[in-house]
Amino acid sequence: MTRAEFSYDFPHRHLISVADLNPVDIQIIFERAAHWKALNRTTNRSSDHLAGLTVLNLFFEASTRTQGSFEIAAKRLGADVVNFAIEHSSAKKGESLSDTARTLAAMRPDIMVVRHSATGAPQFLAERTGLSVVNAGDGMHEHPTQALLDSFTLAQHWGEVGGHRILIVGDILHSRVARSNIGLLNILGAEIRLCAPPTLLPPDVDQWGCEVFNDLDEALKGCDAVMALRQQKERMSGGFVPSAREFFHLFGLTHERLEACSPDVLVMHPGPMNRGTEIHTKLADDPEKSVILEQVESGVAVRMAVLELIGDVIRREDAS
Amino acid sequence: MSQTSLAIINARLIDPASGFDGPGGVLVEDGVIAQFGTEIDLNAADEVIDAKGRILAPALIDLRAAKEPALTPDGETLSTLTAGAAKGGYGTVVLAPNLRAPLDKADGFDGMTRGFGRYGVRVLSACGATRGLDGQTMSEIGLMVRGGAVYAGQGDHPIADALTMRRLLAYTSQFDVWLSVRPADTSLSAGTVALESDWSARMGLPAEPAISERIAIERDAALAELTGGKLMIDRLSTEAGLKALRHARRSDLEIAATTAVAHLTLNEVDGGALDSAFRMDPPLRAESDRLALVAALADGELDAIVTDHRPTPFDDKGEPFALAIPGTMGLETALGALLALVHDGEIELIDLLRALTCGPADLLGLPQGRIKVGAPGDLVLIDGDQPWVCKPDAFESARGNSAWAGRRFQGRVLQTFVGGVTVYNSKV
Repeated sequence: MTRAEFSYDFPHRHLISVADLNPVDIQIIFERAAHWKALNRTTNRSSDHLAGLTVLNLFFEASTRTQGSFEIAAKRLGADVVNFAIEHSSAKKGESLSDTARTLAAMRPDIMVVRHSATGAPQFLAERTGLSVVNAGDGMHEHPTQALLDSFTLAQHWGEVGGHRILIVGDILHSRVARSNIGLLNILGAEIRLCAPPTLLPPDVDQWGCEVFNDLDEALKGCDAVMALRQQKERMSGGFVPSAREFFHLFGLTHERLEACSPDVLVMHPGPMNRGTEIHTKLADDPEKSVILEQVESGVAVRMAVLELIGDVIRREDAS
Repeated sequence: MSQTSLAIINARLIDPASGFDGPGGVLVEDGVIAQFGTEIDLNAADEVIDAKGRILAPALIDLRAAKEPALTPDGETLSTLTAGAAKGGYGTVVLAPNLRAPLDKADGFDGMTRGFGRYGVRVLSACGATRGLDGQTMSEIGLMVRGGAVYAGQGDHPIADALTMRRLLAYTSQFDVWLSVRPADTSLSAGTVALESDWSARMGLPAEPAISERIAIERDAALAELTGGKLMIDRLSTEAGLKALRHARRSDLEIAATTAVAHLTLNEVDGGALDSAFRMDPPLRAESDRLALVAALADGELDAIVTDHRPTPFDDKGEPFALAIPGTMGLETALGALLALVHDGEIELIDLLRALTCGPADLLGLPQGRIKVGAPGDLVLIDGDQPWVCKPDAFESARGNSAWAGRRFQGRVLQTFVGGVTVYNSKV
């Protein structure tokens, strides 16, 4: 399907949660991301699509990869980009998020890309400022562009994500990447499996439209893709799991274990990786199976697509 | 005005203490109830109010309202707090400790309580059980009880350590005062902002399982039995907690339980859009918990409903849900919110009023909260049907954080009397 067949414009001026998207919205994002991904591989990769619009990168939590990816995406689209690392400024002076929001809105940016340690902070900023907000990760809640780039990467290999069996393994409990992926993959009609020790699973997670396993070898059977999650080191030393070593023995991805999967299984990781904790270093670097660097490339393309589509909505609203 | 006697006639008189609900009136002379029933001697009255069939009940009593620190320049003062209380039908308000005003200093405590006499509404104060509510170091409870403290409380801070809890219960038992502690197992509750549920798990919110409350009640009830202390469960909020309370009451110990207006009238779904107004401590619970609380209230298992009135420095709380200051203002809206339970058929009015009048009065041994010859003339006249909309801008207080902002209520206070004197009149 192409967009002409729907005669439907992408309607969202925010991207807060994957639950806001319908399958057509996702299709549109993937279509535009494919366009940008191809263009990004040429030397003629800059456009003036967002020229005149200002994108604020508002990171209340330190991030190099996601912030860099958003910055490159916005700059390639010709937007003016300003990075604010708030943890070093107002928040330390005791300013409330309401006041920070009002101050930043007075500078008249168009799109705010927000990462914050608290669930709901991007939505809060959207409500308080009326500006377009893209959620770049809020607490343990959502990280929608990560989920979009993961599914986009898979769609590039498979055409359709729906109907494939995908396993997410690792610290589901604390992972916003897992929550967004579970939401998005359900919308796309994939078969989702989760695998983790019970201490790293949310309560009643079996009601989220996925099958839950504690045994990795069982979980891997017939999978078309496996996503390893990043394990926080402080949770691997006795609190949730006895040790990183034990975790790797029980839940670490290796070539041998992947033999239970479908032969063309793809291995994913949102990065940054802890080699030897969640994934064997040889597997991470295996170009036959690992699509980890492709995910990073897709990240820029998907974020370009999201910013472009939101920019179109802003301009349409402005014109009417 | 040297009014010495006041008669209110043609009312629907409700006195939960005696179980009376029927037509009648009250004559108040020199601040105390002199006559009540259908035969009031009007010749004795200087002023007569015709209630025209509206509800006349004892003025409400709140065991838990937060006082802002004395020197908050733009905040709520005791004048505005008591004005809001009177408007909400309250004749007695107990200030409870909270982190911003821990009420933990014996110096000046009796001066503070003596100063309460200047407000129309009766103001009492609890004291902080531990210094700065740290849950470890006992404050000078005895001196503060002498200075007028009516119970010892801990604000939102549970006592983590069983030995400290044991000592606090033992120590307070010599003064015959309640030790009021929020039931939460701190190792399960620390750092959490929501009930552990499908919603909070999906939202990725740090969450506390409901059984945290049950574990704490079981522990504290056992320690009360051991020490002979008086244990007040501060804001019981879960079905699991109710089970523990029932079990504890089978033993011979002094245990009381309060619950908050928010937990009787709201559930976690109200906060589903992550609106900071619904960030509470304890967090809002499941609908099954709310229904269990209402049923327990109807059965008389919960001794008192508290407003847990708590003004916060920003009306919108200034922060997203997970970081927002917990709590809501509640003195002006409690009755409106609670009457919805009556209109919805969830509880009888007299059972609701019991936990707002004689229930809390009996816990503290107060003479008010009942309609009886010789009792203080603290009364409230209520129109049970009048519709109104909760508008925080119209609050008496400078603060305006309310979980009921914009809600439509049915039933409103017309007039509040304390010692026979009008402290609020909706017509003025």
